[in-house]
Order: sequence, then C-alpha cells, then structure tokens
Amino acid sequence: MKFPMSETNPMKVYGLPKTVATEFRLLSKPCSVIRDVTLKVLGKLDAASKKSSFHSRMVLTGSSGCGKSYTLIQGVEYAAANNWLVFYFPYVINTVNSSTSYIYDPRTRTYLQPAYASQTLQNFVTVNSQLIQKLKVSDDVPIEGRATIPKGAPLADLIAVGAKDQNSAPVVLSALLEILGKQTEYPVLLAIDDFQALYCKTSYKDPRFSMIKSYHLSMPRLLLEYASGKKSFARGAVLGALSTANTTFSVPVELQESLKLNHGTTSPYIKRSQELISYAEGLTNVPVPETLGVPEAASLFDVWMKDKAISHDSGDELFMSKYSEAGGNPRDFVWKGLLVTMAS
Amino acid sequence: MVYVLGVLLPENQLTRFALTHFYGIGHKTAHRVCARFQIHDRCRVKDLTPTQLTSITAFLSSPSTAQPVQRVPLASPTFGPKLGPITPDTQSTPTLKPNTSGSTSLTNAKGGNDPLRNLKIETELRREIRENISHQRMIGSYVGRRHAMGLPVRGQNTQNNAKTAKKLNRIDRW
Repeated sequence: MKFPMSETNPMKVYGLPKTVATEFRLLSKPCSVIRDVTLKVLGKLDAASKKSSFHSRMVLTGSSGCGKSYTLIQGVEYAAANNWLVFYFPYVINTVNSSTSYIYDPRTRTYLQPAYASQTLQNFVTVNSQLIQKLKVSDDVPIEGRATIPKGAPLADLIAVGAKDQNSAPVVLSALLEILGKQTEYPVLLAIDDFQALYCKTSYKDPRFSMIKSYHLSMPRLLLEYASGKKSFARGAVLGALSTANTTFSVPVELQESLKLNHGTTSPYIKRSQELISYAEGLTNVPVPETLGVPEAASLFDVWMKDKAISHDSGDELFMSKYSEAGGNPRDFVWKGLLVTMAS
Repeated sequence: MVYVLGVLLPENQLTRFALTHFYGIGHKTAHRVCARFQIHDRCRVKDLTPTQLTSITAFLSSPSTAQPVQRVPLASPTFGPKLGPITPDTQSTPTLKPNTSGSTSLTNAKGGNDPLRNLKIETELRREIRENISHQRMIGSYVGRRHAMGLPVRGQNTQNNAKTAKKLNRIDRW
C-alpha cells in the first residue's frame, strides 16, 4: 500500500518516528503492508467515527519491532483519507524529555509548553485546512493580552492566533480541542506514538530542582485527559502505540496493569501513583502480533525486491531463509534480513 | 557571542554547559541554575529570551541576595482552570501547610537544601580561596607553611614529582 505524499499528508507535516523515517528514506516511495491487525484497527476506527472517543481509547502493544508504529501510521492515513480531523504525535517523548521551553502558569497551575503547542497548531492547520473551513468557534475564547475570539468566528482565526503567538498557543490548543470535542461534523483522531512516555517520570525540573510530574506539564496533561476519558470528543478516537526504543521512558507499572501487560508478575510492593492510575483507566489493549504471517512477509519482500533494494538473486530460498532467521519479526526481517544482503 | 558578567558564552552551546564557563560553576550547579530560571536542557544560548538572560545575570552577580524560590501550587488531576484573569475571588487559593518551625530550610544560615544560596563565583570565590590560604599562614599551620614554601600541602611525595605544587603553590595564589 503506497502512501500518498501530498503536501497535507499527516506523515509529511507531523513527522515520523525515527525507525520508520529511515525506512521510508531508503524506499523510493513510502509503502507499508496491510496485515490482519491493520484491518482490525481500521474497523475499530470506523466504529469509533460514530461514537464518543470515551468508548474508543486504544493502545497498540507488542514486543520490539512487531509493527506498532506502522499500524498507527496506517490508522492515521486511513483517518485522514476519510475526512477525520487528525492530530498525530510521532515522538511524544519530546514533551517530557526537557527539549522544549516550559513556563509556570498560575491560572492553570501547570507548566505550559508554548513552543510545542504552537508547532502542533501550525501542523494541525496545514493538514486539516480543508475541513476546518466549515467549523466555527462555539464559545467565546478569552486570551490573555489579546482580544477575545468571539463565538461564531471561523476556527482558522482562532488557530492563527495560537500559531503566530507562542504565549497564547497552549490556551488556544486546549480551547481548540474542546471546540472539536463538541462538534459532530467530523470525527477527531488523536494518534500518539511513544504513548508510555506520558506516564513516565519526566526530565523537567522545577525551580526547586525537583522533578515535574507529567500531568503538571500542559501538553502531556492534555493528551492524558483525552486518553483517560476525562475529556472526550463527541465523535472520534484516541489511538496510542507503545514503543520499546527509548529505555529511559519504558512502560511504567500503572500502564502495564491497566493494559494487563504484566501477566501478574509485578511486585505488589512497588509504589503506584494514584494519579497515573486514574489517567490510565479504561484503555483498551490492541495487541499487534509478534510475527508476520507468511503471505504478509511475502508482500513485504515483494516491496523491497521491486524497489531493487536486494542485490542477491532474490527468490523463495532467500525469502524463507531470511524469514526463519528473523523468526517472523517484521523489523528483524527487513533490517537484519533483507537490508543486510546489500552489505554482502 | 554573549557576555555575561565578563564571561563569554558561546551562542551555539547548550545553556546548561555554557554556564560552566564561570569559575565556580560546574555541571551540577549549572543544571540547578537552568532549572531555577525554567530553561530546558536543550536550550542554546542564542535561544534565551532577554528576560531569562537578565535574570541569570542578576542572580549570578549576587546569588546570596537572590529571592528564595517559593513553592507553587500544582494542579491535581481533577483541577479545572477557569478562563479569564486571575483574581482572589475566581480562583480558590490552595491551603498550603503553615510553617510552624519558625525558620524555613531555605532561610537558615547554611542555606538548607538549596546549594544555590551559598553559590560563589569568579572574584568572590577567588577571594575566599585567598583568604583561606592566608588564614592558614596566619595561624602558623603546617598547611600554611607548605603554601609558603611552594610544596605539596596534602601529604604527597616530594622525592619525585611535586612539579605542579612547586609551580603553583604560594600564599598569594589567585
């Protein structure tokens, strides 16, 4: 399945996770393979488009390299093609690893992240410009230091304020999500890769040099509120994908227990945060199969073969040998199986 | 290139490491100074706002007289901020526990848990070192005599080596 790389494609505008980005750079045209789990996720998105996002909060789980990020991207592309309003966060670790500016706000009693919020608004308006033309602001939005955006104003005006002025971007972003939550014209997809980072200890320090919790930072708090169902969209879904790439931000106990990943092996003596448990309530686990089926692996092999990435005389023997060496794991099959043939 | 208190900070360097150019600030203190002024780890010196730069300069010019950092109220998961300007009526002020012990940890003489209260840099630090050495000499201690002779102070061997001590140790060091 080829991805259409238009100017408003979510992958192009929002960016991609590192491993996926490298693979797409190697391929002449970005493609992915449709698997059973893809069809399952797309079916869930179809069902979610008719009901509130409170009932459709899904997290893709699985071992390293099994295809969680790819399945998430396929979901994002499907939603974008079916007139959903799409928010995609390919590397949400950037909100918790102290790489964006932060400032305390006494009104919300949280640390705002103006630069990240402003960038998110700019990306959103680029991807969804066609769809938001019809939408209007449903309530007056007062913004500090600026004129209030009145009820009935075009939504693009509200977003433009936040995209231009970083200081008002966090207020505008949370107001935008509330407005999108009330409207029923288009369903809204909130797609988050590295989902576990929202529940981890952050690298941010407050002025007294103690760690800032993730729900005291504006961006993670906003995403956690929609992921936990405390706020919801009238039509839409929240789709997350765990990631095993960064060991500093590994899946914490509260999330493991909510998604039932630990099979009862975590010690009851480990301290669990009550706040994070409340933010992890009601998440549905969508397991991504550990191995590719043989037909799926064959189509993946075809993609790389047609791209002339494999220098050997490619045939069934090479395919079966690389497939068995990788044990069916998609990332190992491509990186340690197929691409290694280029080196030899 | 930005000059702060006479020290040149390279523009493209991360602020957290650029601050170590000050005599008396190492990596840990630099990290604490950045946290004090809400400067994130990946912020480069060229990305600092003028306000942040002035506040760092003001702080480093005299760290001991800087205002101690107050605890700020943080939102619980169920907190819902109200839109509009903050007034005492619209926001319920959280009841922070009153300090019954008399002096807070940040106001006691040793600075409590805040290393930045007793921070000395550049000329102040060099003056303190000079005073310590001259004090040792004045009381006639072994340490003072070794500084005066330009020999190792901390019991190192002098049969061989001791070259750094012979080059650098003196009463009017710094």
